[in-house]
This record gives sequence, structure tokens and C-alpha cells, in this order.
Amino acid sequence: MTFLHPLILLAGLGISLPILAHLLNRHQVKHTPWAAMQFLNRNVRVRSRQIRLRDLLLLLLRCLALLLLVLALARPAWQGGMANWFPGESRSGVVIGLDASFSMAHGDKDQTRFRRALNQVEVIAENIQQGDPVSLVLLGGENKILTRNMAFDPDRFRELLETAKIVPAGLDLDRVPSQLKELAEDMEASNKEVYFITDIQARDWDQSSTKFQSALTNLRQSAQVFLVPVPGVEANLAITQLDLVSGVLRKGAVGRYQATVRNCGVDPVTNVEVQCRVEGVQIDTKTIPLIAAGASETVSLFVPFHNSGPTRITAEITGDLLPTDNVRRVVAVVRDRVSVLCVDGTDGIAGRLVMAALLARSGGSMDENFQVKSIPWLSLPSEPLDEIDVVILADVPEITEEQAKQLSQYVRQGNGLVWFAGKNIKANVWNERSASGVSPLLPAKLGLPVDASTGNGAGRPLDPVMPDHPVCLPLRSLPEDLFSETRFLTRLDTETPSSSFPILKLAGSGDPILLEHTLGRGHVFMFTTSAGTTWNNMALTPVFPMLMQQIVTYLAGREFEQSQTVGDSLSLAYVEQPDASDAVFDSPSDETITVPVREHRKQFVALLENAREAGFYEARVSVQAPGMPIAVNVDPRESNVASLTTPQLNKNLNSTNIIVAGSEIELASAIEANRTRKSSWRQFMFIGLMLLIAESLFADRLRKQKQTRSQVPVPSDDSDSGGRDD
Amino acid sequence: MTEHLPDNNYLAPELLQKLGDLELIAREVVEGLRVGTHRSPLRGCSTEFAHHRQYAPGDPIRSIDWRVYGRSDRYYTKLYEAETNFDCYLLVDASSSMNYASGKVSKLEYAKFLAASLAHIVLKQRDSVGLSIFDSEVRAHLPPRSTMSIILQIDQLLRGIKPVPRTSIAKQLHDIAIMIKRRSVVVVISDLLSDVDDILAGLDHLRFDGHSVAVLHTLDPYELEFPFQGAWCFEGLELEAPITTQADRIREEYLANFNQYIATLRDGCAGSQVDYMTVNTSLPPNEVLSEFFFKCQAMINGASSGARP
Repeated sequence: MTFLHPLILLAGLGISLPILAHLLNRHQVKHTPWAAMQFLNRNVRVRSRQIRLRDLLLLLLRCLALLLLVLALARPAWQGGMANWFPGESRSGVVIGLDASFSMAHGDKDQTRFRRALNQVEVIAENIQQGDPVSLVLLGGENKILTRNMAFDPDRFRELLETAKIVPAGLDLDRVPSQLKELAEDMEASNKEVYFITDIQARDWDQSSTKFQSALTNLRQSAQVFLVPVPGVEANLAITQLDLVSGVLRKGAVGRYQATVRNCGVDPVTNVEVQCRVEGVQIDTKTIPLIAAGASETVSLFVPFHNSGPTRITAEITGDLLPTDNVRRVVAVVRDRVSVLCVDGTDGIAGRLVMAALLARSGGSMDENFQVKSIPWLSLPSEPLDEIDVVILADVPEITEEQAKQLSQYVRQGNGLVWFAGKNIKANVWNERSASGVSPLLPAKLGLPVDASTGNGAGRPLDPVMPDHPVCLPLRSLPEDLFSETRFLTRLDTETPSSSFPILKLAGSGDPILLEHTLGRGHVFMFTTSAGTTWNNMALTPVFPMLMQQIVTYLAGREFEQSQTVGDSLSLAYVEQPDASDAVFDSPSDETITVPVREHRKQFVALLENAREAGFYEARVSVQAPGMPIAVNVDPRESNVASLTTPQLNKNLNSTNIIVAGSEIELASAIEANRTRKSSWRQFMFIGLMLLIAESLFADRLRKQKQTRSQVPVPSDDSDSGGRDD
Repeated sequence: MTEHLPDNNYLAPELLQKLGDLELIAREVVEGLRVGTHRSPLRGCSTEFAHHRQYAPGDPIRSIDWRVYGRSDRYYTKLYEAETNFDCYLLVDASSSMNYASGKVSKLEYAKFLAASLAHIVLKQRDSVGLSIFDSEVRAHLPPRSTMSIILQIDQLLRGIKPVPRTSIAKQLHDIAIMIKRRSVVVVISDLLSDVDDILAGLDHLRFDGHSVAVLHTLDPYELEFPFQGAWCFEGLELEAPITTQADRIREEYLANFNQYIATLRDGCAGSQVDYMTVNTSLPPNEVLSEFFFKCQAMINGASSGARP
């Protein structure tokens, strides 16, 4: 027999109280000489023995009642076979962890994995006794606890199950055991059962860590654990990426987006049609003739921008078993034009090279994607920046504090700044005015020019390993020989804070060539090398125009163009302290979420902690303000819906002592076979209370008898008595 | 029960106990009695006219012989034969059980007060008082006499006796009956804690000898009410085995037994024409005696008192 609250058994020592009282009572006998002993003889002696017996019976009842109540409160449970004769109920506290990641939506309409999982939940529910504690948690994304320690009621539980919905997020398998353990430990039950119903996605379970295994073993110590797999076929197509790869987000221009479709199944798929929609209107359709098993194919979608302003773009495939990952969304903020101001600190060479790079088009044609203007650095103070989207400072020796403040404010408003080093740079002036403080203008503090060449005097090439940054996208498509032509001889040494991160590095040394950091709603790119050809030959290679155009396009965009993943935080940054204290986010399901504006490092930001839905959110600075769309997509990693095979699962669960029940029949029999512990606290409580009531009634009866006896009249001989009259 | 009694300030037994001097106690008791409305019952117990005596202050008006007054113009009172030969025997039980006292005054002490008071009354009427003290046997026997010294002797005798358990009361009453030569008024002062048949046999013997018998059944209030609460060990004064019990729970049985005993005793006394009265030792003796005399008067006024000499 085990107890849920063994410490309560200490209260059983309380039975010593009535025993002690009884013994004390016995020892507190008063003695008196007595003359009329003849009236205490016979019946009275018998009566005294009866009273002693009655007292003992009362004592016994009290002790037994107390003992049973203490036992009941300690919540005893019997292991099957130990005391089968003893009455008890096969009751159990049940924790159900239901995988609600979007992979569970895979399958035919009425036979999705989630539907089958719900059927299994109903099987479990059929084996739960009314009133037993039940917790139900949807596992996926942030894990949503639908109920915690609910006294089981079939109707209420059914209603609860109807509210269970799949979340457009993946499953964090490592968190599952701890989540279930927490719920199990929060439950007051002598026998606990934890059910984990999942599609055992291979991508999660194959990579399950030893920490996960030990957490499962640990969970097993808290409760009987049942794993209920609801696997399915692995066939699935998903759009994993949709990115702007070329073109400028300018009214009248055409942007080329690249959609990546992955075949997660084991069979090749033919004729995959990808539709492109702009603001819900289909504008382009491409067909991928064949996608090999496990392979990804890309398709270019051309999007003409007829209007300026934020534009919602989606790429979608159809006819798939898992619809959640068939759509990819992106937002483009289209401008009427993109103006670039190049401030040249050299004798004009850097400015010309930058202009040439930005205006270079394939086939040598010039286009009007960018309006580029180059001015000498001394003319910067008089130049209005209102109409400028991106400012490029090329080897500008110094700036004044006012200019630093002006540029900082300019970037905070959502514009972009590109900074090039050079031999004219006065590092100390730049450091003092724009690289220090809480939120400096430049991403790094400047040092001295250092030699970046290799040992034989040749320039060092760029590291081909680049981060997953939009700026790097075109460089990846360059042939390796062209890419390696770019060589760097000199660079400016820098001291990079944690808020900045390198985008391009030199091969071998890893020294940063291009750094980025965010300032307000804008970004600042910083080249540690020159725009001219004195420190490198970058301007003479195809890398430079591709890089510059991509940087300007990136900078001319807005933060809203960055698509987010479900579960990410959505932010709305302010240039200055807003009038309204709250920002508003409208979810794809038209739910309005109000988020307070907070100050962080002298910047005002409204942060929606967790985007729970996939689709287009709208961020507004206030309820009346126009909305800015933010694309939120599902995590494409969850699209790999292949499940573990039974041998793989058994191998994975080896030594964890977890019961695996695949079918509903298996599950029902597993529950029956393993629920061998009987909970007897209700019986103890009932018997204890009954004994207590019996004892009370008995004692009450004795008390009444005593009262009756105390009212027995004093013997008198009526008129001939000399007894007291009153 | 005491509605017929005036609202007198009776002397409590505890107060009498403090007085110490039994003669004084007797006088106090009797004085208290005199201020009451009741007259001595012994006067009324007379039977045959003897002669006249000149009226003395204090004599009742009703005993004045108005015929003689009419002839001689003097006040004479009638004296009866009984009054002139009145012997009163006080039989005092001095057994161990009489030593029980729930308060300060034991039954024996109370019996002493009663005996002395009665002796005082009798002697005041110039009658004779005899005394017998018994427990398991007759410890002392004083033939009737008319001097007040008997009150002192009562005290001395009772002081000198070491109580022993009593096994039977009939035997002692038989013995005493043999010792009493003349028909007398016999007052038994005892707790009568013995077998009822045995007691009645003894009383019957006295009645058979022609004595007028009165029983003052002296009992402690605790014996009457049994007010004990909780666990008590009752240790018998007559060498009975002790009994430990929850006293409040056996009260019903005790009182049932006790009432049965009293009823049997009372009925037996009535059947034997023995005056019977239960005496509660918590009550003042003069109140008890007043009640006793009132009862005797009531019996005289009633239909029968055939046992009177």
C-alpha cells in the first residue's frame, strides 16, 4: 500500500489522544468511603462492567474512526494482488498531452492524424472515472493547457475536446516530458497516468537528445507513461521559402520572387503548380515538372508592382495532404521611387563607382530603379535628406555632431545608411561622434587600417560561407571563380559590439568586411574596406553591383517586409515617443491585440510576444492608424511529416519503460492491464465517517441517558420525609 | 414538605457541631423547636387520666380543666397516666456506616444531636429517657432516668465507642427489646443499612413487646441523591469490597435500588405500625424534629395509633 500524502499518517498519532484521555480518566478515580454499599451491589456492579465495556467500545470507535479518516486523507492505494479483497476503485489522475503541431493536420479530411488522436483521447476518456483529476495540454508552439486538474466530467471534457485546435507551429519535443511531468506532479492522485499522443515525427524523434531520453525516464518515475502514436504517410509538399531575389520594390517595377517547394515524401512528385497571388489576386502560375523525393525545387514568380505601399504576396500549392505549409507569405513595401545619396569623401572616384554599381543593369542598359546622386562630403550639411531612402558615405573623413544626430534620426525613421571605410577616415572623430553611446550610429568602433592580404601579398577573398541574410542571396548564385576574384588588401580594424553582426567576412582570417546593426526602424551597413579600389578590387568585380543593389533594396524596404515565423515576436518600432501608449496588432483571424509601447535602449517598441497564427498580421501605431502588414509563416521544418517506424520507435524508447499503444484496442487493453492500483480513500473516508457518526450517536445516547438519570428525583417518603423540600 | 413549618431560623448541623457541648446543643435545638408552632407530640400520646395539677406557665391552655375552674375558680391541668410513666428509649446506631459524612457532620454526629435533643425534650417534660447504643452488638444500655446527665452520657458513650461493622440489626433490637422492661416509646436512630427483612424483624419484636416505635432513618444527602460525577471508587465502611465506577452513569441504578429499599422499609414500618421518617443530615435537627412531631400529631389526630400505650 502506498500513500499519496504519507506525511498525513503522522496525524494517526492523534489516536493517542482519546487513549490518553481514557487512561487519564481511569487514573483520575476519586476515592470515598461509602456506607450504602448494598445499593452498589449486584446490578450496579454489572452495570459498572457494562459501562467499562461501553467506554472501551466508544474508545475503540473513536480510535478506529480517527485512524480511518487519517488513512483516507493520506490517500492510500493498493497494488493489485496485495489485497484484492479490499474494496477500492481503479481511479487514476490522467494527464493527456496531445500533439497539436501542424503536422498533425496531415491526412485526408476526416482521417487526419489529429482526428485519430482525438479518437484515442476518447478511448482514454472512457476509462476515466467521474471526478478523477484530468489535465489536457495541447503540445505545439507554446503548449496550451486546456484544463488542469479538472474533475472529470464526460460532457465537459467532450466540450473541451471540441475546442482543441491544431496550432500552426512545430513541436518542441524536448519540452514535452517536463511539461507533462509538471502537470502530473501538480495532480493529487495516488495513481497517475500520462498519455502522450503524437505522430512521432521522425525529424523530432531521430534527433531526440539524451536529455529527452532522461526526461522521459524521469517522467516515468512520476507516472505511468503511455505513448500513443498516430503515424501517417510521409507524402507532403511544402513551400519552404519565398524571397525577393531581384528587382526593386518600386512602383512600376517588377520583382522576381523565388518560391522553394520541397517534396518531403519518399516518392517523386510531378507537375507541382505554384500560384502567386498579390493582394489575393492570382498574377502568376508556374509548374514544377518534377520534384524528386526529399528534394527541393525553386520557381521564379514575377510580381509587377502597380501601386505603391505595402503589398501582400503569397505563393501557394494545392492538392496536398497537409494544407498548413502549402502557403508562403511575404510583404513588399513598394515605393514610388528609391533615392540614393552618395556622399563622396574622396576625389570623386568612390562616388562614381558606387553610382555605376547601383545603376548597372544586365546587358549594359541603364534603368531608373534607383535615383542616385553623388555629392562631395563637404556638401552634406546643406543636402536635404527627406526625399532620400539610402545614404552612402564613402570614405567621408569626418562628420560633425549635428550631422551624426541628423543621420541617426534619419536611420531611426526607417531609412538606410551604408558606410565605407577608406584612407581619409579619421577614426577618432567617427568613434567620438557616431560610434559611442547607448545606441551609436555605426555598428562598430573604428580602429586603424590593417593589412588584410595573405602572406604572399595577394588580397584575401571573401568567405563563401555566408549567413542566411537577404543581402547575400545574389552572391550565392555567383560562380565560384567570379566570387573569388574579389580580393581585399586592407581593411579597417573594428571593435564590434554584441548588437552588431557580421554579414561578410574574409576567408581564412574571419575578419569582418560588412557589418550590420539596427537603429530604430532602419539599418546601417558598414564596410570595413573602401568603396574605391585602393584597398580592394571589389568595385571591379560583379560582386560590387550585386551587393550594392541588394543592400539598397534591402535598406529601402521596411522592417515589415521581413517575414516572421509562427511563435516569433512581432515588433513595431517608433521613431520617437508616440502619443498613444499602446500599439494594435490585428491577427489573421481578425483578433485585435493591444500591446503597450515600451522604451528599450532609448527606442520605443511595441512587441507582440508570440505570433500564434500564420497569415498576415497588421500592425498599427494606434487603433485609427493605417495598418502595416506583417507576413507570418509556419516553420517549414515541421513539414517533414515522416513518422518513426515501430522498430525505430522501440529503439528510441529503449530502457524508458514506456508503454506504447498504437490502436484503440491496444490502448484500452493497456489501460486496463496497467491500472492495477486501487484507490481506497473513499472507502476509508466513508467507513471512518460512519464510525464517527455511530460514535457520536452512541455518545449522544449515553449523554441523554446520563441527563435522564441526573433528573431522577431524590427519594422521598412524601409526607413522612424529613428530606429537603426544594 | 415544609410548607406547614414557620420560617424559623433553624440551626444548621455544622453550627451545632461547632457548639461541642451536647447539652447546649440539645437545649438550642429544643429552644428552636419551642418557638415553632408545633407542640410536643408526647403529650398527645397519653392515654388514661391520672390526676390534676395546678396550672403552670407554659402549660397548654387546652389542657386546663375548665370544669374544675368552674367549680374552684382555679386553673388545673389534667395529667394523664402515660405522661407520668413515660419512658423513652433512644436506640442509637453507632456502626461504621454511621460514620459516613459527605459534609462536616457524620450521620453518627447527627444521630447524637437528635438523641440529645429528644432526651432534652423528654426530660423537660419530666419523663424518663433511656439510651441504647449498638453496632454489631449492644455497646451500651442506660435504663430510663429523669436527669439531664443522660445527655452527657450519650456524648461520652458515643465518644468511647469504636465503630465496628454491623452484620445484623435485628439481633441488637432483639437484645434491646429484652432489656426494656416497661412499655416505652422507642426511637431508633439509625441509617438502617442492612437487610430490610432483618430490620423489620427487629422492629416487629419491639412492637410485639408493646412498645411504641419510631424510626428516624438517618441518611446523608449524598446517600439520598448520589450526586457523584466522574470516576469514583466507593470503599465500603462495612468491609464491603470497593467498587470503581462512573458514578454519574450508575446513579439511575443506585437510586432505583435505594428507592426500592426505602419503599420496602416504609411499607414494612407502616405494616408494623412503626412511625418512620427519613432524616436528611443536611437539614437542621430542630427542623427534622419539628417535622417528626408534626407527623406524630397528625397520626394522633388521624384514625389510628393503636400501638400507643
